[in-house]
Amino acid sequence: MAVSTINRQDNQPVYVLHTYPFKETSLVVELLTRDFGRVAAVAKGARRPRSAMRGMLQSFQPLLGTWSGKAELKSLHSLEWGSGLLLLKGEALMCGFYLNELMLRLLPREDAHEGLFDYYAQTLKTLSANAHYATTLRRFELKMLQEMGYAVPLTEDEAAVEVVAAQSYVYVAERGACAESTKDGVSLIGKTLLDMARDDYTDPKTQLQSKQLMRVLLAHYLGDKPLHTRQLLVDLQGL
Amino acid sequence: MRNPPALESLVEALRCLPGVGPKSALRMAYHLLQRDRVGANGLALALHNALQVVSHCELCNTFSEQSICPLCASSNRDGKLLCVVEMPTDLMMLEQTQAYQGLYFVLMGKLSPLDGIGPREIHLDKLLKRAQDGIVEEIILATNYTVEGEATAHYVSELLRARGLKVSRIARGLPMGGEIEHVDSGTLAQAMMERRSVE
Repeated sequence: MAVSTINRQDNQPVYVLHTYPFKETSLVVELLTRDFGRVAAVAKGARRPRSAMRGMLQSFQPLLGTWSGKAELKSLHSLEWGSGLLLLKGEALMCGFYLNELMLRLLPREDAHEGLFDYYAQTLKTLSANAHYATTLRRFELKMLQEMGYAVPLTEDEAAVEVVAAQSYVYVAERGACAESTKDGVSLIGKTLLDMARDDYTDPKTQLQSKQLMRVLLAHYLGDKPLHTRQLLVDLQGL
Repeated sequence: MRNPPALESLVEALRCLPGVGPKSALRMAYHLLQRDRVGANGLALALHNALQVVSHCELCNTFSEQSICPLCASSNRDGKLLCVVEMPTDLMMLEQTQAYQGLYFVLMGKLSPLDGIGPREIHLDKLLKRAQDGIVEEIILATNYTVEGEATAHYVSELLRARGLKVSRIARGLPMGGEIEHVDSGTLAQAMMERRSVE
């Protein structure tokens, strides 16, 4: 049919963010695509034992997807292996789930962010290769907010005065670094903000304060519902 | 026209089944009441009975009518081996192979962070207690090779190893009679990466 060919996208680079069971044998797949943003598509029959897509529908693997459809829920026709195999293990796997949850919660459907897609791909590679998970996550969180157009001013304070490394600030979402006396924000020193702007997370204090800052900023954009991945890690620690 | 209240509540009750929406539920209800009243009665009795007598085995957590299931109570099994699986169907598949003589623990799920399924839902506390009975020497993780299954295996192994237990994971790679030409790239790549030396 002419209509479906127009809306058909062939072999686009995608990642599977999550899947939900749909009807008897199908799945709804949340895809992160490079050129079309977050796309939801039905993988028909993907839960049948002999489905060709069954083994393919795994998160964190670079895939090539073909889908079509005009409505919000597309039909997924095929998935193929993209470039290389990525192995996330253990903690890295949990970090990957965290990234996916952030994307699912914050990224609106069908709003393309090529830069974010590329950064996601790169972050997964970093996670699979080295153990500096915290720093990798901080970078991704900041990049994600920036790519999505949320302002996170780091080098200038609320009044557009340059941030001073030795000075104490209170960081408030949507406002930036404010005077020390401000309420309802994250207390930190100027150096942390400047380090984050320079992408330098070597200082332990920067690591700690950037974590607190990003947590509060994300909570601001996420709303009241907490992140499942974070709760899961807390619960596992308790065992 | 509205259906009688009893029929409405039956439709509503049938919707608790996975994958059953309002339409399918109505179709099922009509079928049960119109075409197969004997079957419907059987279903009602079986459901009621199952709810009364089926619970979880105290040792392996699978469905059982006794407090200890027949498999756990059997004297022919090797109590030193404990195999952890996600679902009772996985246990049945492993039993079919007749290659394993140890005991099992059924998680009844997997860690699934994005669905909010955490350690409590998959009975990790019960597994920790079970594994530390003093008889178990090796725990074999037979969770699925999906990302969730892998995450589950990782955390279970961390928890158990911290308590000084030996943990292993079932192997993966080419299937029986698998031809390299026809096997999927992912499996092949895994098999290459996790190759072992020939003895």
